Amino acid sequence: MNVATAPIVAAAPLNAAPLLEIENYSGSFRARNGDLTPVLYNVSLQLKTGVITAVVGETGSGKTLVASSILGIQPATFVRTSGRILLGGVDLVSLDEKGLRKIRGGQISMVFQDARAALNPMFTVGRQLADVHQRLHGSGKAEAMEAAVDAIRRVHIPEPARRARQYPHEFSGGMAQRAMIAMAALICEPQLLILDEPTTGLDVTIQSEIMDLILELSRSRGLTTCLITHDLGVVAATCEEVVVMNAGRVVETGSAETIFTAAKDGYTRKLLAASQLGEMAA
Amino acid sequence: MIVEGRPILQARNLRKLFPVGRGMLFAVDGVDLDIMAGQTLALVGESGSGKSTVGRCLVRLIEPTSGEVFLDGRSILGLNSVLLARQYRRVQMVFQDPNASLNPRMTVRQTLIEPLRLHLKMNRRTREARARELVEMVGLTTAHLDRYPNELSGGQRQRVGIARAVAVEPDVVILDEPTSSLDVSVRGQILDLLMDLQAKLNLAYLFISHDLQVVRHVSHRVAVMYLGGIVEIGPTAKVFSEPKHPYTRALLSAAPVAKWGVKRTRLRLSGEISSPIDLPDTCRLVGRCPFQQPVCSEARPKLVDIDQDHAVACPIVLAKTEGPPPFVGLLATPSVTAGAHPATLTQ
Repeated sequence: MNVATAPIVAAAPLNAAPLLEIENYSGSFRARNGDLTPVLYNVSLQLKTGVITAVVGETGSGKTLVASSILGIQPATFVRTSGRILLGGVDLVSLDEKGLRKIRGGQISMVFQDARAALNPMFTVGRQLADVHQRLHGSGKAEAMEAAVDAIRRVHIPEPARRARQYPHEFSGGMAQRAMIAMAALICEPQLLILDEPTTGLDVTIQSEIMDLILELSRSRGLTTCLITHDLGVVAATCEEVVVMNAGRVVETGSAETIFTAAKDGYTRKLLAASQLGEMAA
Repeated sequence: MIVEGRPILQARNLRKLFPVGRGMLFAVDGVDLDIMAGQTLALVGESGSGKSTVGRCLVRLIEPTSGEVFLDGRSILGLNSVLLARQYRRVQMVFQDPNASLNPRMTVRQTLIEPLRLHLKMNRRTREARARELVEMVGLTTAHLDRYPNELSGGQRQRVGIARAVAVEPDVVILDEPTSSLDVSVRGQILDLLMDLQAKLNLAYLFISHDLQVVRHVSHRVAVMYLGGIVEIGPTAKVFSEPKHPYTRALLSAAPVAKWGVKRTRLRLSGEISSPIDLPDTCRLVGRCPFQQPVCSEARPKLVDIDQDHAVACPIVLAKTEGPPPFVGLLATPSVTAGAHPATLTQ
C-alpha cells in the first residue's frame, strides 16, 4: 500500500556545536554614484552541525543575500560593511576567489529554486553530475558516471541509467530538483547544504516528496542543512531550528517548536498568523 | 446535486482540446460547474490540471471546443462579439500577475476609467467620482490615482486589478490565482478585501488556486480538478474534513500546515501526473492510484452524488468495498506531543 511515511531517523541534538557562524554581518548595495544603501543589519546566526535550520522571511528580508554571501556569490554591487562568516574558524568573506573555490561544492553546496535553469541545457544530467564528481573527487570518467547514476537512483528517480543520458529539458520540474539535490548532497558530499527555496513553484504533492527526500538525506548523512524559504508550512514539517528575518535583520531565532508555539517577536507572530490565515487554530 | 442558491454562471460538459504535434492535448475535458450568486466556488488543482483554462473558457478568452456556458440561464457561446462585449460587464476577471495585467503606460485613474467609459458610458465627471470611490473601496487613497503601476507595490497593484474588475458592477469575478505572487502578509490583506467586497457587492467568485489553505479560507464550495476533469466537488468544510477521492486525499495530505505538531497521514500517489495528450477513456488516476481496480480502466468515472451537494468521480469510493483506510484530513485536531518533531509523529 502506498500510504507511506517518512523514515525513522533520529534528529541531531539541538545543542550541537555550530558548523557555520555568521557574526554581525552588515552590508549595503553600492549605487553607480557610490551611494551605499544598507540592506543587511548585524545579521547573526548559527547553523548547528547535523541540524536542519530554516531561514524564513518575505520578499526583501535579505535571506537569499545571506545565503549567497556564505558561498561568495552575492551580487557584485553588494559590499560588506561589518561582520564575519565563520566556517571552522575561517572567515569566508575574506577569502579570495581561489580560496572560495575550494569551499564551494566540496564543503558547502547549494540548491537553487529553479533546477532546470541551474542545470546546463547542453549536457546530459548524468554528464553534469559526473563532471562534478571527477572534479571534486579526482575520479575517472567511468567511475564518475557510475557515481552519477547511483546518486540519481538514491534520490528516487526511476530508471536512473536511462535518466542519466537525458538532457535537463526532458526532466519535469520535480525530477530536475531531485537531480540537483543528488548533485549537491550526494556527489559533492558537503558538510553544509544550502537550499534556496527548493520547492517554490512546484506542486504540493511534488513539494512534499522533495522535502521528504531532503529530510531523509540530511538525517541519514548527518548533513548540516540550511533551508531558505518563505513557506512556514514547509518549515513546520521539516526544520529543527528557525531564523526569522525581516527587512535585513534577524528578528528571532529558536527551535522550531518555540517559534511555532511561543514566538516572542511581533513580526514572527504576524507572519505565523498570516501563514495560518487565522483558521488552523485547534 | 442540490446546491443552495441561484446559479449565475454555469458550465456544462465544457471541453477544450488543443491540437499539438502528434495528437490532442486534453486541457479541459467535460467540466460541469455552477457558480452561485454571491458565493465563492474554488477550483483547485495542480499545474496542468486545466483550472485556468476553465476560467478562460467561461469568459471566452479561449474559445471552448464544445460544451455550454450559461450566464444567468442564457447561453453565451453563440453570442457575436457585440453581444458578448455587453455580457462582459457582468463577468470580470482578476489575473495572477498584476505586473502583466496592468498597462504600464496608464495611470491608475486611466486604468479604472476605461471600463467605465466602455461598459457604462459614463460621462467625465461621473467617471472621476466613480474612480475615487473605487480606489477607496479597495483600500487605496485618491493620491494613488495618478500613479503608474511601477510606482505601486505588488499588493497595491493587485488592489488596482480588483478595483478595475469591480468597477463595472459585475455579478461574477473570476479570480485566477489572485494571491500567488504575493507575500503571505499581503496575501491575507487581499483575501480580506475580496471577502469584504463579496459581502458588500454580492459578488460571485470563481476562485482558481493551487493554494489549499487560501481556498479553505475563502470558498463556500470547492471543485478539485485533475487532468482536465473535476474529480470531487462539494462544500469546502466537507471536502477538507472528509475528502473522498484518492486524488483529493493525496493533495490535501501533501499540503503543509504552518503549525507545530500537526499530524498528517500521507496518501501517496505513485509517479507524476501523466501527459495530457490523447488521454484514454479511463479514470485519469489509473497507474498512480493505490486503490485502483479493473473497473477503473473500463470507463471514465462520472461525478456521482455521495451526499447532498457532494459528488465524487471514483467507482471505488462509490462501491465502498473494503473501504480505504480511515483518513485523517487537514481539519483533524492537531495532536501535539511534547518535544516530538512532526516528522516523527507520522510513523
